[in-house]
Amino acid sequence: MRFELFIAARYLRAKRRQAVVGAVTAISVVGVAAGVASLIIALAITNGMRRDLQQKLVGSSAHVMLMRVAGDGISDWRPLLARLRSLPHVAAAAPVLYEEVLISRNAHSGGALIQGIVPADENTVSDILPNVRQGSASGLEPVASPMLSTPPIVIGQDLAQTLGAEVGDTVLVTSPQGELTPLGLVPKYQRYQVAGIFNSGFYQYDSSYAFIRLADAQRLFSEPDLVSAINFKVDDMFRADAIGREIEHAAGPGYESTNWMEQNRELFRALRLEQAVTVIVLALIVCVAALNILIALTMMVMEKTRDIAVMMGFGVRIDQVRRIFLLQGLLISLIGTALGLVLGYGLSWLGGHYRFIHLDASVYSIDYLPFAPRLIDALYVSAVSLGVSLLATLYPSGSAAKILPAEALRYE
Amino acid sequence: MSDLSGRTVDTLSESAAPAMLRAVGLAKIYPAVASSGVNAISPGEVVLFRNLDLSIATGEMVAIVGESGTGKSSLLHLLAALDRPSAGDVWLGDTNLSRLSPRQAAEFRNRDVGYVWQFHYLLPEFTALENVAMPLLARGLRRSEALQQASLWLDEVGLAPRADHRSGELSGGEQQRVSLARALVARPKLLLADEPTGDLDGNTAEAIFSLIQTLHRQHRLTSVLVTHNLEFALRCDRVLRLRNGLLEAVAAR
Repeated sequence: MRFELFIAARYLRAKRRQAVVGAVTAISVVGVAAGVASLIIALAITNGMRRDLQQKLVGSSAHVMLMRVAGDGISDWRPLLARLRSLPHVAAAAPVLYEEVLISRNAHSGGALIQGIVPADENTVSDILPNVRQGSASGLEPVASPMLSTPPIVIGQDLAQTLGAEVGDTVLVTSPQGELTPLGLVPKYQRYQVAGIFNSGFYQYDSSYAFIRLADAQRLFSEPDLVSAINFKVDDMFRADAIGREIEHAAGPGYESTNWMEQNRELFRALRLEQAVTVIVLALIVCVAALNILIALTMMVMEKTRDIAVMMGFGVRIDQVRRIFLLQGLLISLIGTALGLVLGYGLSWLGGHYRFIHLDASVYSIDYLPFAPRLIDALYVSAVSLGVSLLATLYPSGSAAKILPAEALRYE
Repeated sequence: MSDLSGRTVDTLSESAAPAMLRAVGLAKIYPAVASSGVNAISPGEVVLFRNLDLSIATGEMVAIVGESGTGKSSLLHLLAALDRPSAGDVWLGDTNLSRLSPRQAAEFRNRDVGYVWQFHYLLPEFTALENVAMPLLARGLRRSEALQQASLWLDEVGLAPRADHRSGELSGGEQQRVSLARALVARPKLLLADEPTGDLDGNTAEAIFSLIQTLHRQHRLTSVLVTHNLEFALRCDRVLRLRNGLLEAVAAR
């Protein structure tokens, strides 16, 4: 292999008899570098987007949710909550009673998922309430005599916009779970005062989430001291699935759990698909670069036919001839890949550090393009680049190995 | 069969030494090329030689002469296992070169035969020293060792001061000296040279031929030279002429 590498490296460095061969070789290197750099940058952006989305998503919601299989609510929730909090891997736990409701203000209305919470607990599993931008979530703290005034509600920014509501305004919450009266089923309703408006950065949350005190929720839904679920924060969010099963097991029969990954499966699947499509499209650049390698090597073999015949004359074997050109293609690819990696990671680092690409925050929820280059991507991208280049060397190296020395030298 | 003045002699070895290189019933025939199209010229079968016998004794220096296109180079290619005969066999000692696999043939060319072409055919990207070391490098020898041996050979052909020059920076004679050193660096038993002086002027050609003679003697080589130069041919142990597909012995020294 030393001999083949010696020849291949020298052929690559040497000034070409035909300048065009050198030019095509240089173009091949640049092509591979461009392809590799594009892939690294694209992967850094999709990773950055996913990381950002994940952080926001996980910040705004619990890692694991425990509920009854029968959907009848958890009645004896206090001792269960205390017991489950002490489980290994459980970082925090909070009770929640939720129900779908209609919220209206004057002529405007919107569907919402109203959640009755205990703020001190809720804040340990979700970042939504501490991030209230207008007003405050402090009104949700339990009070001694809740009946004395209009109870508070904290709603999402987009929902507030739909309702045309601002902090201090009163909204009407109507529960479809009505009360059976002699006049028939009468929906239950209650007025709430908007205490705060939050902005989680997620349209789904900002357009449909509303928080009220747990006691108020229980009163609204006529559920005396009942919660729908217990939400958990765990120490390793990527093990939410396994930890969820442990919690389920500890809670006993009749309970089931779900987790943030399960709930957002479609979203992450879409992100993965987007990433796969991006990678495939950009890998085409590497394929074009590999075609350049094929052309460069084919021209090189044509230029070197006599030299190959002479080498065979002094005993260079066919497999050695083949390897010379395989190595040459690989060297072109290695140089291009190395340049591409440096360029890709360099630009990704600059992009992440200086945030020079700005986005419309109202559309993307962040105002800059996030870059999150991962080292493992270098491995995948290099493998693709070198693999495709290796395929491109097969034809020229094969044709070099087919040269018959006597024939080649006879026509010289 | 005749000598240069028409006298007939045997083509087999006249030496008492055992035959080192033998060709038995050798043929090289290029089949008719199938071609298509109205104006296509379809050359028929080209027979360079058929039933050619040759025997060269160990240590002999044999010149092969003949007009251009008679198949001298093709014969030399067959003797070097660079090509396969259409029929017949070439033996080097007990080895039938015609039966070697491509890998064995490459190893044979690397170890047992040194080949010199009319046009030096040095690799232009490499220095004189590296060119000489090539057969050893191809064999897998360490670079330092190969270059060390190559430098001894470069010294032997009188080109040590030009070791680091590339072929383009050398004169025709110097290039052929490098080519000779490259042919002999692997210490082969057999030296085959295809018009080694054909591309050189008179004085340089003389110097190269003398060098070949010296190296042949000093390293106890068995040498076969194809040449157009009758004067050089006559300074060999034996002269054979290839004509009309037949190899005729010509009386020599």
